[in-house]
Amino acid sequence: MVNLTIDGKAVTAEEGTYILQVARANSIDIPTLCYHQALEPFGACRLCTVEITSRGRKRLVTSCNYPVEEGLEVSTDSEAVIKGRRMILELLLARCPNVPLIQELAKSYGIEKPRFKLEDDNCILCGLCARICEERMGVSAISFSGRGLERKIDTPFHVNSEICQGCGACAFVCPTGAIKLEDITAKEPRPILSEFNVGLNPRSAIYVPFPQAVPKVPVIDREVCIHFLTGNCRICENFCQAGAINYDQEDEIIEAEVDAIILASGFDLYDPSAVEEYGYGKVKNVITAMQYERMISASGPTEGHLERPSDGKTPKKLAFIQCVGSRDTHHKLYCSSVCCMHATKEAILANEHYPDLKAFIFYTDMRAVGKKFQEYIARAEQEYNVTYIRSRPSKITENPDNGNPIVWYEETTARTRTSMEVDMVVLCQALIPSGSTKDISDMLHLSLNDYQFVDIPDRLFHPVDTEIPGIFACGFCQAPQDIPDSVVQASAAAARAAEFLSKED
Amino acid sequence: MTTEEISRIDKIIDKYEGEEGILIQLLLDIQQELNWIPKEVAERISQRLNIPQSQIYRVASFYTAMSLTPRGRHLVSVCMGTACHIRGSPRLLDRITDILKIQPGETSPDRSFTLNTVNCLGCCALGPVMVVDGKYHGKIAPTEAEEVLKNYD
Amino acid sequence: MPRINSPAELEELRKDILSKRDPNRPCITLCSGTACHASGSEEVAASIEEEIKKQGLSAEVDFRKTGCHGFCEKGPIIVIHPEKICYLQIEPKDVPEIISQTIKEKKVIERLLYTDPTTNKKVVHEFEIPFYKNQERLVFGSNGKIDPKSIDDYLALGGYSALAKALSQMSPEQVLEEVKKSNLRGRGGGGFPVGRKWEECRNAPGEIKYVIVNADEGDPGAYMDRSLLEGNPHSVLEGLIIGAYAIGSHEGYIYVRQEYPLAVENVDIAIKQAEEYGLLGKNIFGSGFDFTVKVHRGAGAFVSGESSALMTALEGRVGEPRPKYIHTVIKGVWDKPSNLNNVETWATVPLIINKGADWFRGIGTEGSKGTKIFSLVGKVNNTGLVEVPMGMTLREIIFNIGGGIRDGKKFKAVQTGGPSGGVIPEKYIDLPIDFDELAKAGSMMGSGGMIVMDEDTCMVDTARYFLNFLAHESCGKCVPCREGIKQMLNILTDITEGRGEKKDIELLEEVAAMVKDFSLCALGTTAPNPVLSTLKYFQDEYVAHIEQKRCPAYVCKALVSYYIDPEKCQACMICLRQCPVGAISGGKNQIHIIDQAKCTKCNTCFEVCPPRFSAVRRLSGEPVPPPVKDRVLARRKG
Repeated sequence: MVNLTIDGKAVTAEEGTYILQVARANSIDIPTLCYHQALEPFGACRLCTVEITSRGRKRLVTSCNYPVEEGLEVSTDSEAVIKGRRMILELLLARCPNVPLIQELAKSYGIEKPRFKLEDDNCILCGLCARICEERMGVSAISFSGRGLERKIDTPFHVNSEICQGCGACAFVCPTGAIKLEDITAKEPRPILSEFNVGLNPRSAIYVPFPQAVPKVPVIDREVCIHFLTGNCRICENFCQAGAINYDQEDEIIEAEVDAIILASGFDLYDPSAVEEYGYGKVKNVITAMQYERMISASGPTEGHLERPSDGKTPKKLAFIQCVGSRDTHHKLYCSSVCCMHATKEAILANEHYPDLKAFIFYTDMRAVGKKFQEYIARAEQEYNVTYIRSRPSKITENPDNGNPIVWYEETTARTRTSMEVDMVVLCQALIPSGSTKDISDMLHLSLNDYQFVDIPDRLFHPVDTEIPGIFACGFCQAPQDIPDSVVQASAAAARAAEFLSKED
Repeated sequence: MTTEEISRIDKIIDKYEGEEGILIQLLLDIQQELNWIPKEVAERISQRLNIPQSQIYRVASFYTAMSLTPRGRHLVSVCMGTACHIRGSPRLLDRITDILKIQPGETSPDRSFTLNTVNCLGCCALGPVMVVDGKYHGKIAPTEAEEVLKNYD
Repeated sequence: MPRINSPAELEELRKDILSKRDPNRPCITLCSGTACHASGSEEVAASIEEEIKKQGLSAEVDFRKTGCHGFCEKGPIIVIHPEKICYLQIEPKDVPEIISQTIKEKKVIERLLYTDPTTNKKVVHEFEIPFYKNQERLVFGSNGKIDPKSIDDYLALGGYSALAKALSQMSPEQVLEEVKKSNLRGRGGGGFPVGRKWEECRNAPGEIKYVIVNADEGDPGAYMDRSLLEGNPHSVLEGLIIGAYAIGSHEGYIYVRQEYPLAVENVDIAIKQAEEYGLLGKNIFGSGFDFTVKVHRGAGAFVSGESSALMTALEGRVGEPRPKYIHTVIKGVWDKPSNLNNVETWATVPLIINKGADWFRGIGTEGSKGTKIFSLVGKVNNTGLVEVPMGMTLREIIFNIGGGIRDGKKFKAVQTGGPSGGVIPEKYIDLPIDFDELAKAGSMMGSGGMIVMDEDTCMVDTARYFLNFLAHESCGKCVPCREGIKQMLNILTDITEGRGEKKDIELLEEVAAMVKDFSLCALGTTAPNPVLSTLKYFQDEYVAHIEQKRCPAYVCKALVSYYIDPEKCQACMICLRQCPVGAISGGKNQIHIIDQAKCTKCNTCFEVCPPRFSAVRRLSGEPVPPPVKDRVLARRKG
């Protein structure tokens, strides 16, 4: 260990570390622009310059690459340091007067208007992009080119790079937003979409699956993680202070001997693009109820604002289509049982957010089976400006001028064909037993019924018992139902299992 | 590139295969052979020696001895060294850009001339100096430039 | 060719070479350095060869094409041995006469001799010409005597005897000690003590070590390293091998610019010859010491002369400086200990080994020992390469050797140290030149460029010139150097184009201070020197540009106008015909007038107006008088 002082504070550091690392570890701030924890020090922005006294001699050095020495005295804010930094920032602001990061940094040193000739660049030539591509990604798709005044960041021969893997690391590390992936790669940039937010926003390759995940720890998506694809990168390792990144972790199979099993494998959503007439995936402003749910959620990708996909505008006129894939001889024959009520809830929420928003719900039959459910619907009509239209729309098209979806349907009361142009359409698609239901049932030799739900031989007296003693099923894996019903069944299954286990003894 | 050109380039690359740190030497040889470094050549080097194209491009764009655009039939270099500068090379250069209608670093559209400035030719006694295709013209006044350039087309 | 296996064999070979050479046999040496080459020495060489044959003298006269003699002003130069008769500015047409008169008849041709401008007397011998007489050519002197492509020529002059001595009579430590004792300082720029550098490299951990010759001389207006390498490559090689022995290195590089094709060619030949003689390779002189050397051609970037940048380039990557606080003597090429010195430094080493550190220390000043080669250029009469002992004054160099200022103009300043150096004004004309005195005066030795400036040189323009050079030659990696130089250049351009403001001087100083302290490498930290030193000594010129929009030297085009004095114009039509843009109107007997809107200020009219009229005037900081109405020329009689 090495002893040194930074701004008068005595600190110890490991030999071979640099002043900047030690300062930051001791909560002493030194500004940087070209420094990155995962990259070799570059020493180009010179902003991290500090004044040192080494063997009795005062010197200005860059802290990012000056190794600590015994007895070193470091001043991170001497007059000479501050004066120099101020000039560096004034020069950078003259180069990039419109880059917010530089504006803010300069302002923090009292510079608002440079005294120099202004340019309008947004690249500060810190080289982070090229360095991460070479040092960490092992690709070298971009690099510096030219020298002196002509120095810039470029792809070879200024042509979009064939070897670029499209990982986006360059754009990600760029502190000024100067790097646009589409200018660099010859590939179509494809973001990794968040499953939890139903593809509404991208996520990184290392991520917490959703806020309530148990256990709530990040996972690495091996399908897309550059390290697992190429062996390079490993940047997360540099940043995790707990040293918790483990690239060698494998899935584990745990064998356990049990006496009773409760099956609660839940549901998946039916793919609405299978219902071709509704144009999901083609008409931009047609979304699913789950996407809507994430959008209207305060913790969702749009922080609770409704933004339609085509242009981000808030819709004024909203249509919900019920039974998308449910009660349909071409798709699923059964009623998904929860959609009438959740569509009503979503319509009410929309109106609460935007009082001038008008919602229409196109339904087959109103299935408000439950206490006060009918009253809820009445309130939606009376207080929240929701209109229920009894009709199954035949198709949805797009108005090419404004991207508005047009809902084509039969006015069943008047028996006329008509259409309605709205700003956005929400499809309430069918719910289906989750994919794992079939796998587990096969494993346990349980039968499935015609709709692929777990078969319950005696629904009346033993509503959670499967055909095999000791195996119980609750929730959506055995029939469509809402949350309260699932909770009731879960309690029942637990009680039945307890009863079964006590009999065993 | 023609197969003949590829084999010419390959021959140069062969000289350096398996050696480290040779990129600059290799590119200098290619510059001498072709008078410029085309994209296809960079691709070829990248393929054969497993050097990223970006590194080749970076080197070729960094050094003045290498050109990423084809050069003209005649190379006119005007010395802008200090000795030549104080003996009036800026005025000479002005006159030459006027005559050739190109700026330093450019090649005339008909590829007849490429105009370059150089930092010192090591014959300061002759300043200001211009060199056309390796022939030195020393102590040359701006008014004499046209006379010299007339001999080339 | 025989391999030399011991110092004794070397001496035998030398004797053998000398025995075949008759010192009284006439020998014509022709300077074939770059400047003489540019002045047509190739053609002269061809006619000498032809003429010797034609006059049937092939068996009686030797002809040798040598490296640069240094007196570039008067090239092509011929020296005829053994008398050392020196002929200057030779053209092919002079050759037959030289052969028939001087070689055959031993007659001196008066018109080809040097004329001393002060006494108007002809000077016959090279050593009597003031340009040479006042020099001490220890390192550079052999250039004019040997054919650089012939190792035998070098051996004949005692070449490689220092290497033989070092390898057979001295331990590496003793060699190191001798160099340390000599106080030799690096001739490439900073003047770092060579012995200390070698010692650090020797002591650095690691088996593999490199020694490197920096021949990437990129200072505009400096060409001594290039000429030395072109003219006497073996002296550099010999020094390098000795250094490698002292340091414990077995591999060397010579980094030489591709733009110096003759240097590349001669070095390649020299290495091949040395290998054939066993002076490079395994077990040199039977000492057990192995050493090989490779040539690396540089591709033309001033910044690549910086040591860490040069080493990066040796690895085949872009020659940018490394941001490391570990010295290259510890971690250099491929992270191995690497010792870099420039051409002149290496070439000095054999002298020190041969003649001893004490002899070397007897030359020069307290802090700077030995001699230094300068490239004396610019507005001086005798442009060329001069070698003088450290401590000679500027006045002696410029006036005694350089023959004073051209065209009878007034001396204004001398710029030393290249783009990283500074200007030294007239008041320091008696400054003794060494590393420390130059630094004290705000400039530096650099590699030895010495650019003489007269009253027609604008100091603001000079600063702008250097910053423009540096802006393009900076690698552009670090912000202070890239952005700082750019903005200083912007300000200087504004000043030279008449847009300067009073606050500019202060702003320049502020930027300069930061660039000096915060840049990554020596290019950046010294880049403000041209600005700071011109500001220090010639602030009045800045003020004239800014406040009166006047360029006192009439250099800054935007501040200069050309005007034909109607009282003096003789309507001779010369300027009118020569004006490249047709800006001059007039005719026979009609006073000429310059159309200010059309004039591009190319200076042509000023140059061509016959001195007896001197009608064209340059104006700066004052309005151009309106054109005269009556343009008919009234011929003045008598």
